[in-house]
Amino acid sequence: MDVLLDGLVAAVRLLLSGDADTWAITALTLRVSLTATCIAVIIGVPLAAAVALTRFPGRRVVLAAANTGLGLPPVVVGLFITVLLWRSGPLGAFGLLYTPTAMIIAQAVIGTPIVVALAAAALRQVDPDFLVQMQGLGATRARALMALIGEARLPLLAAAMAAFGAVVSEVGAAQMVGGNLAGDTRVLTTAAVLATSRGEFALAIAFGLILLFIAFAVNLVLTLAQHREPVRR
Amino acid sequence: MSARIGCRDLRVSARGQEMLHVEQLDVTAGATLAVLGPNGAGKSTLLRALAQIGGHLRTGQVLLDGQPAGHREMRAAVAAVLQRPILRRGTVAANAASGLRLRGVGRAEAARRSAPWLAKLGVGHLAGRDARTLSGGEAQRVALARALAVTPRVLLLDEPFAGLDATTRTDLLADLRAVLDNLDTATVLVTHDRHEAHALAEETALLVDGRIRQHGATSQVLDHPVDTECARLVGYTNLLPPALTGQPDLLVARPERCHPLPNGTIPPPDSITVRGTVRRVVPLGGGTRVDLDPEPAGNTLACLIPADSELKTRPGHPATITIATADLRPVAARSEDRIAIRVPLPDPLA
Repeated sequence: MDVLLDGLVAAVRLLLSGDADTWAITALTLRVSLTATCIAVIIGVPLAAAVALTRFPGRRVVLAAANTGLGLPPVVVGLFITVLLWRSGPLGAFGLLYTPTAMIIAQAVIGTPIVVALAAAALRQVDPDFLVQMQGLGATRARALMALIGEARLPLLAAAMAAFGAVVSEVGAAQMVGGNLAGDTRVLTTAAVLATSRGEFALAIAFGLILLFIAFAVNLVLTLAQHREPVRR
Repeated sequence: MSARIGCRDLRVSARGQEMLHVEQLDVTAGATLAVLGPNGAGKSTLLRALAQIGGHLRTGQVLLDGQPAGHREMRAAVAAVLQRPILRRGTVAANAASGLRLRGVGRAEAARRSAPWLAKLGVGHLAGRDARTLSGGEAQRVALARALAVTPRVLLLDEPFAGLDATTRTDLLADLRAVLDNLDTATVLVTHDRHEAHALAEETALLVDGRIRQHGATSQVLDHPVDTECARLVGYTNLLPPALTGQPDLLVARPERCHPLPNGTIPPPDSITVRGTVRRVVPLGGGTRVDLDPEPAGNTLACLIPADSELKTRPGHPATITIATADLRPVAARSEDRIAIRVPLPDPLA
């Protein structure tokens, strides 16, 4: 118990002292995970719209694949991305392995199915005739789609937040494709694993606290957005 | 003067099957056309084809002011109100303005132009309310205000009164009629309720199996159906084949115009009588429905009698009904009706 308490105190002291390495790792974590989430949203929302709003052969297969992807093990993603980016692999010529770009790719692969599955469910909650009604009021198809996305904005935001939560907290893929190189590809999760393995519990707890704070901030944004909706009377 | 909206040889197909084929339809500015049809007849499909929205394959022409119109022209001219009032998140005022907003009108201008329509439809006092808290009738009023606020040249109404209780529906019908009377808009109302057609439309078209079976002045169409399916649509649900009436034509009658005769009563002049056996007697609150199996054979006939009628009858009892000849209409029989009203041949072994 003392170890935990001492670790907590040391972690807080470390954070308050403004340790440059800690903040660099935090900044890289946010950059990698936010970029990966944006990519997942850009790919995932149109795919979810197609799955939710149109009929095409294999639609259910895509949805089933996305639902399976909700539980996609990051280690498996890391393995496949590593093989793809390995020097002798199909994409080895790009030299991306052990770079933040590789981590972004891996995390986008993890996040996209989450966005597709949750966003498709969100869009299906909206009345099936919503697009027809918006077009029946004079909207172009693109404008009607934007109105639909606006209508489902809160569950869509929740889908993006869920994807961000998943990628910022994963360690397997980040470790495998990033390599946990100090000052280059070290993010909070891989740094916490390394610190724990070295017995530097204060440092590991500090990283853990930052991750917890990020998770809290994400949920705070979501909660505030939900409470900006007009109150039902 | 050319019609405000019309179509020529309009066909809609889905999965290789033709769902709708309308050779010609025209609605002039300021007029309302009711398209009456049973469920699945293609009413909503017709409306969406006219508006050129929805994913079905369309061929033929939609005309706006006599000229062939494409997506862009129709999008600018049309506003549609669907059966369910699909409102967006936000206040009633924001919803009323949303049609204009979708057309690129600024927020303040859209609010200014839509507010009077909320008042005209009796929901001005709800402007600040969250749209999700409205009753069905209130929500449909907001949906109508939203559509009218864009000052459409063509208003398409897809069963906007379905799902409303009787009082709400009657009030809304009256309010909408008052609004439409002062507009230059061509309105197409699809419905399965002849009372709505009667209340709102100068002209009515009967749509059955994707084809317009009858089209004309509402009073004429509702009171002079051309065939048995049209008759059923407009409330002439009792079929009286020649074998029952002794008349050369197949006749139809409304249940409320068929009167059971108390025993020993002489039928009134200028009427026909049909004898049979009472199948069932169903109290309906405001009246009683008596179903009669006619003799020698034929479709069951329904009679609606007032609740305070002194007529006492029970299932299995013989009964006679009388129908004034002025309440009978001759119609053409459809093939399926010819089978249904076939008089069975005598049993050769009997």
